[in-house]
Amino acid sequence: MALNLTINSSNPPLGALLAAEHVRSSVPVSVEEGKDTRLHISDSIQFNDGNSISRYLARVAPALGLYGANTMEQTEVDHWLEFSARRVCDQPGLTGALGELDKALSLRTFLVGHALTLADLSVWAALKGHVEWPSHGKSFPHVNRWFSFLSSQVPFTAVGNKYASKKAPMSKSNSDE
Amino acid sequence: MALRELSSLEKYLGLKKPNKYSTQGDKKVPVLQNNNGPPLLGLATIACHLVKEAKRPELLGDTAENRAVVQQWLEYRVTRLDSCTKEDIKIILKDLNLYLQDKVYLAGNQFTVADTLVYYGIHPLMVDLAVQEKEQYVNVTRWFDHIQHYPGVRHHLPPVVVLRNRIYTSRHH
Repeated sequence: MALNLTINSSNPPLGALLAAEHVRSSVPVSVEEGKDTRLHISDSIQFNDGNSISRYLARVAPALGLYGANTMEQTEVDHWLEFSARRVCDQPGLTGALGELDKALSLRTFLVGHALTLADLSVWAALKGHVEWPSHGKSFPHVNRWFSFLSSQVPFTAVGNKYASKKAPMSKSNSDE
Repeated sequence: MALRELSSLEKYLGLKKPNKYSTQGDKKVPVLQNNNGPPLLGLATIACHLVKEAKRPELLGDTAENRAVVQQWLEYRVTRLDSCTKEDIKIILKDLNLYLQDKVYLAGNQFTVADTLVYYGIHPLMVDLAVQEKEQYVNVTRWFDHIQHYPGVRHHLPPVVVLRNRIYTSRHH
């Protein structure tokens, strides 16, 4: 089963691209640049929303644990997916959302459980593409640590370098350690 | 104590054949009688040897700078943690807390053997901390919880309960 992901090249869905990179070893996903973001599954089923695409990809590769290890963690992942879509993505005034995120990350290395999940991918992607984030980094130490930790890992560096510049030309200041 | 750590480390590294260790002196310094060389003496030395034997050199750091940082923490473990008195504990936790503020692992963004040995060494201190103290040293607690859940590391040690969110949020660290 080969999946085909088409991305809007002027506004690439970073979270979906990260999910595609992560599942690549178990499910082949081809990525093409085009006009609209779309995951083609069959002629009758296609997904357009970044989070829906990530969810689908995580579910077809359950062994990777991207959707958490149990029902409780799944619910948490859902919480953070919604958080990234409603509180971070293209929202003006990040301070409130970052405060909440900072509190949640004070005792955690990853947002959910003890390993990487969609929650990390989606929230990282939303911050990466946000013009306000670089100027806020200093005031939220826990978010900053988590963000630069993920940014240093393999699929994140690749996706960040390749696509993030197209989305927000200003978001290149996460390298200050 | 040190011998159990070394056998846990062997298991983490996936070394099939367990080594036999002896100890030397009052401080029970571990000794490894190596088959093809002189005996190796001391926890950090033997740990580095095991890592090389398992062909996992990245656990000693992947850049010159990281390798130096790993050695620094191995020495810290042996000189500072292993001989710490009751009065030292607060200073150790305070310093470590500050250091870990912006780091996931001791050497930054990469897991190394330093995380394993400092985790083993600080475990007796963490077991005795109250919930409130764990939140006071929030960065140490987060790092500790991450390492104790790191696949294959904990082995011989009992898990320490760590809350997932803070209760005493008004308290500033």
